[in-house]
Amino acid sequence: MAPTSRTILICSGKGGVGKTTLTANLGIALARLGLRTVVLDADFGLRNLDLLLGLENRIVFTAQEVLAESCRLEQALVKHKQEPNLALLPAGNPRMLEWLKPEDMQTIVGMLQKQFDYVLIDCPAGIEDGFKNAVAAAKEAIVITTPEVSAVRDADRVIGLLNTNGVAPVQLVLNRVRPKMMANQEMLAVDDVTDILALPLLGLVLEDEQVIVSTNRGEPLTLNGSSSPAARAYGNVARRLQGEDVPLIDPAKEGRGLRAKVRRLMQKKIF
Amino acid sequence: MREAHWRDAVTDHLQQLQPGGVELICHEWPLTCRDFSNLLKLFGESGFTIGLVQTTQPTTAISAQAMGLTVHLIESSPSPEKPTTPTPIAALTPRLRLHQGTLRSGDHLQTKGDLLVMGDVNPGARVSASGDVMVWGRLRGIAHAGQDGDREARIIALQLRPLQLRIADQVARGPEDEPLPGLAEEAHIESNDIVIKPANPRLTARLQAAANTQHPGQSLA
Repeated sequence: MAPTSRTILICSGKGGVGKTTLTANLGIALARLGLRTVVLDADFGLRNLDLLLGLENRIVFTAQEVLAESCRLEQALVKHKQEPNLALLPAGNPRMLEWLKPEDMQTIVGMLQKQFDYVLIDCPAGIEDGFKNAVAAAKEAIVITTPEVSAVRDADRVIGLLNTNGVAPVQLVLNRVRPKMMANQEMLAVDDVTDILALPLLGLVLEDEQVIVSTNRGEPLTLNGSSSPAARAYGNVARRLQGEDVPLIDPAKEGRGLRAKVRRLMQKKIF
Repeated sequence: MREAHWRDAVTDHLQQLQPGGVELICHEWPLTCRDFSNLLKLFGESGFTIGLVQTTQPTTAISAQAMGLTVHLIESSPSPEKPTTPTPIAALTPRLRLHQGTLRSGDHLQTKGDLLVMGDVNPGARVSASGDVMVWGRLRGIAHAGQDGDREARIIALQLRPLQLRIADQVARGPEDEPLPGLAEEAHIESNDIVIKPANPRLTARLQAAANTQHPGQSLA
């Protein structure tokens, strides 16, 4: 294994809080820092990672063929068209769920660790077999949650499971933060979330409409040097993973400056 | 290193036994869900099932429970060279079980005697004891004191804002108002209802009796 290869599971418990978006954007951001990164879609039932990266029409072989040894790993890995440091190992067939064991995930990840500096595993929602298989192969984890009671509750459950499975360190990304709602106390405050989850905050990502646009286009925000708030936040997460000390965005101060106001006007296409 | 060691020890042991149900005595070993998963597989291959897990470590108990195994949490043995013969928990005199660390959603910590948690009990977590439940932290989950029927049992916390309170067979919803900072509260049964009052620092009769047997009649001469 490459001496400093890191295998990170990106999970949440709750569905739809932004795991796949984080995996895709973080993968690109790390690749742009010069690190050889592979993203692995562990959701064999409902795979989305290839869509978000805009690579779905370039998939020939998947993790299934690699395990069955009907193709080499290199044939299955899909290099990103614009960011060559990033590769995707596509999820296998949904029928894989019937026979896939934790050891299979460990085998695949073992192969990837030899060639890549970062192995990011996009975990399926829930805590059933898909999660259990993915956990078996993980060394570290990033738990992503939104400032909502149900998401935080599910994240707490997942963190407990990660602890009993010996996954460490576990870090937290708080996603879809709306500063105005937080200021009006209509949304859980950052402290409320970290109080319960008791994890170090790796990143804080503001709610950003551009995420929807980028998802639909298959172009992650971090790809084109977008200055949208979410893109900056994802970039910061990558830098923090590399050990850089980047101060967290303060929700109370975001969006107030003149630059932010101009950016919002431009996004509304008034000009 | 240690893992290879106990694996071989276990496999050797198994070869001397007839296939069937097995009681797993873990002593002080910290075992995770992964360890239990590997053990279950190892045992299954040789035709054994795990009927009971006995451990002195609360973290091991939680992992075993998460894997669906029946667990007995027992007192630490004073001399590890001579493991005490396991006695059913009901026969052990009531004592204080200490748990350090926060209990997360989905965890369920159960004990006989009194329970003291040094940490939080998060929403979605459960703590139960046949005696008192004391939380040196925030109680935000579900607490059940006196689960064997003791209506004198109390629930005390530095911040008492549980989802639900249970004492013996009585159930009540937790308070919904904001907690006052620095006010430890306790819940106990008064006139057949669970009431919440500022915590009374008296020892329970049970803890008092235990303290007396350890230091009988010490005079301050």
